[in-house]
Amino acid sequence: MDVKLPQLAEGVEGGTVVNILVAEGQEVKKDQAIMELETQKAVGSIPSPGSGIVTKIHVKQGMEVSVGQLLISIEGSGVRTAAAAKPSQAPASSAAPAPATETSAPRTVASTVATGKTAEDHRYESKSGVSPPAPPSIRKIAREIGLDLTRVRGSESGGRINLGDVRAHIQRLQDIAGQGPSHSGGAHGATAAITTPSESVDFSKWGPVRREKLSPLRRTVSRRMVESWTSIPKINQFWDADITSLLALRKRHAAAYEKKGAHLTVTSFLLFVLARALKKHPRANSSLDESSQEIIYKDYIHIGVAVDTEGGLIVPILRNVDQKNLLQLSEELHALTEKTRQRKISIEELQGGTFTISNQGSIGGSHFTPIIYAPQVAILGVGQGQAKPVAVDGKIAIRTILPLCLAYDHRALDGADAVRFLKDVVAGVEGFDESNLKLK
Amino acid sequence: MEPISTEIVVLGAGPGGYAAAFYAADRGKKVILVEQNPRLGGICLNVGCIPSKALLHAAEILREAKDSAHRGIEFGQPKIDLDRLRIWKESILDKLGQGIAGLAKQRGVQVVHGRGHFEDSQTLRVETSDGQKFIRYEKAVIAVGSKPAMPNAFDLGNKRVMTSTEALELADIPHDLLVVGGGYIGMELGTVYAALGSNVVVLEALPSILTGVDPDLVRPVARAAQKAFKEIRVNTKVQKMATAGKQIKVTMEIDKQLREELYDRVLVSVGRAPNLADLGLDNTKVTKDDKGFIQCNDQQQTEDPNIYAIGDVNGGALLAHRAAKEGRIAVEAMLGEASAFDNVIIPAVVYTDPEVAWCGLTETEAKAKNIEIKVGKFLWGASGRALTLDRTDGLTKLIIEPETERILGVGIAGARAGDLISEGVLAVEMGATARDLAETVHPHPTLSETLMEAAESFYGTATHTFSRRPS
Repeated sequence: MDVKLPQLAEGVEGGTVVNILVAEGQEVKKDQAIMELETQKAVGSIPSPGSGIVTKIHVKQGMEVSVGQLLISIEGSGVRTAAAAKPSQAPASSAAPAPATETSAPRTVASTVATGKTAEDHRYESKSGVSPPAPPSIRKIAREIGLDLTRVRGSESGGRINLGDVRAHIQRLQDIAGQGPSHSGGAHGATAAITTPSESVDFSKWGPVRREKLSPLRRTVSRRMVESWTSIPKINQFWDADITSLLALRKRHAAAYEKKGAHLTVTSFLLFVLARALKKHPRANSSLDESSQEIIYKDYIHIGVAVDTEGGLIVPILRNVDQKNLLQLSEELHALTEKTRQRKISIEELQGGTFTISNQGSIGGSHFTPIIYAPQVAILGVGQGQAKPVAVDGKIAIRTILPLCLAYDHRALDGADAVRFLKDVVAGVEGFDESNLKLK
Repeated sequence: MEPISTEIVVLGAGPGGYAAAFYAADRGKKVILVEQNPRLGGICLNVGCIPSKALLHAAEILREAKDSAHRGIEFGQPKIDLDRLRIWKESILDKLGQGIAGLAKQRGVQVVHGRGHFEDSQTLRVETSDGQKFIRYEKAVIAVGSKPAMPNAFDLGNKRVMTSTEALELADIPHDLLVVGGGYIGMELGTVYAALGSNVVVLEALPSILTGVDPDLVRPVARAAQKAFKEIRVNTKVQKMATAGKQIKVTMEIDKQLREELYDRVLVSVGRAPNLADLGLDNTKVTKDDKGFIQCNDQQQTEDPNIYAIGDVNGGALLAHRAAKEGRIAVEAMLGEASAFDNVIIPAVVYTDPEVAWCGLTETEAKAKNIEIKVGKFLWGASGRALTLDRTDGLTKLIIEPETERILGVGIAGARAGDLISEGVLAVEMGATARDLAETVHPHPTLSETLMEAAESFYGTATHTFSRRPS
């Protein structure tokens, strides 16, 4: 049986093999994870579609694979023993997930270099008036996919174009296309600028340097941030919420929650409050479809929670937040965060968010201006709650103040809308109803 | 009568037609192949490539035997039994013809023997020995080839005035043979008859034989032909021919002077014309150019969307391998694939003695188009293999794009040039550079080394020649 890379999720065409979890000759069971793949959105494991002996591993750690590509071959249903396994050939299966190992370098680096180079606008010109040098097989592929080979930079001698060059060129086209309007609702316009990479600087002139290939995740974060930054007219609205009484409530009920195995956190309170505010202010939960000039209101509230992982920022989604009580939210939030940190989150769990919360309070810091996660139209940035002297009923009191910043897309929300929404959030936090904390 | 229905009908079972028919069948199409001759294979197999090469092989043996005295090997005067030579030649054609018929059968390609005539854009009428048959098709491929041109002035109705078709029948060995036209057909058949013992005179209207071929490649052929033939006359035109008893009186114009000569036979090899008469093309939307060849796009599709045309009927280089390639492209186009006759390198071979072969850009063409090129050249006098074969009369050259060192064309004159050119075709198709060819190890001692050495000589580092490095 040939195991090919399945369609992982909509819009995900492939990824990088981070870890191969099986060796040639090894027996695998159906649904056993055979390898870990880092895609643009997460690291996920590929389950084996059947049981048997792994006869051949067709990919290497660090290799970029695309949907439909042959990964491994499995034979029969586990009759033969693992005698065929040659330890020397077995890939580092249980080794620590080292991104971009030495062995993976040549291929991936080569493709990156090629991509970087083709980023300039290449146009083949021959004084002899001949078409660019490419073997017949490549010319046939180009004809089939309607690719103009004069735009492809050949990496071989005399500028000959090989399949890798064509791949790199297409990757570049995709990267450029990816910076255009988003597929999921098109919350931002065709005005999205195509960024041209800045000129390469030789940093080694000033001292030793180290280069590290951007992981697919890093590339995605980078791309999406640029996309958001350049396409969304953004406003940052600051507010301070007094969470003194909220913290008191938390203290009072934390033990009961702990007994149920759930941690009551500021984020879980915020999720609870946000769901209600978003229900009341559906604009903040909407997306903008510029192509049809429509606002898409969503009758569901799926809130993304930014999670800091070893590999970078990942935003898993908590579903139907408005339908869940505080216990459920606390439990789910904890489970989801853990899963994300361990990078076991599935790609589906990263899709379909309608609003995002980014809480940096556990680390520190005050107000910050988060970047909107398009095609969503708003994000709440939460800083660290700190004890501050504030005026309460004309007297100075020491209260715990939570710095909040709502960043929103002015195309979807006007200032007044945003302030009303944030006001409700703050009111919800400050006047949190204790009955919501009761466990049944 | 109920018409036969098919997806594809191919008209003409030459190397283009049968290649197209077989490929279409291999790709799952229902195919009918229509051929008027009992033996499949078209001009190439019956009256072209194959019989001429059989006779050229015989000629080579005769010449080798004759030229062996200085190696200490002497044969007596050869005895030539034309009947047996003819039977041997025919046996090759039969074998190949049967082979094609067998391959058609194995693939389920139905062969209908008879002359085809288009009734409309989707119907072909075939005049078979069993009467008329109508074939209703979705797509048709015209692959009926060409025939030797015979200008009216030369068409005396006298068997002594031959075209290549009759010359290949080898009726006799004329004492004096005039070849009108110094193109590849005239030169090849002239070579055959000269070896068999005829006094061959070649007339060429233009200043050189093998017009269009790079002069340095022509030179070894011209030199050998001057030795083997009685005479090669360039800038000479035939004014008139007339029957004179058992001979033909030919009036020719040389240097504005008229001259009359008697020949036992005359071979007219002045070009070829497409076999498009009585094909019923008027009943379709197929169009022709001013020379009478079919016009089609780079997918071989004619102005009639149901009809494709391949091979000699389209004009250009009338070569079997081009027809076969076009046949495959036509089939892929019918299947909706993005195939196209786009920058396909078609090699050309002249089977004279020595042979001449070239592909891609020629020096002549580069000059005409004002394309800046560099040439890497290797003369066979420095080839060990050429010396052992006693065939130092050759040269191999690469046409190179100066900036990229990409090989744009290859030209070879010399023994087995036709077999050697394939490496050049691959190099050009692959976009190889002279460096690629120079770095590729070639077996020693072979003639193929000359390609490597030509590449090395471009860099001034050929082992077996010394040249000052280009500074």
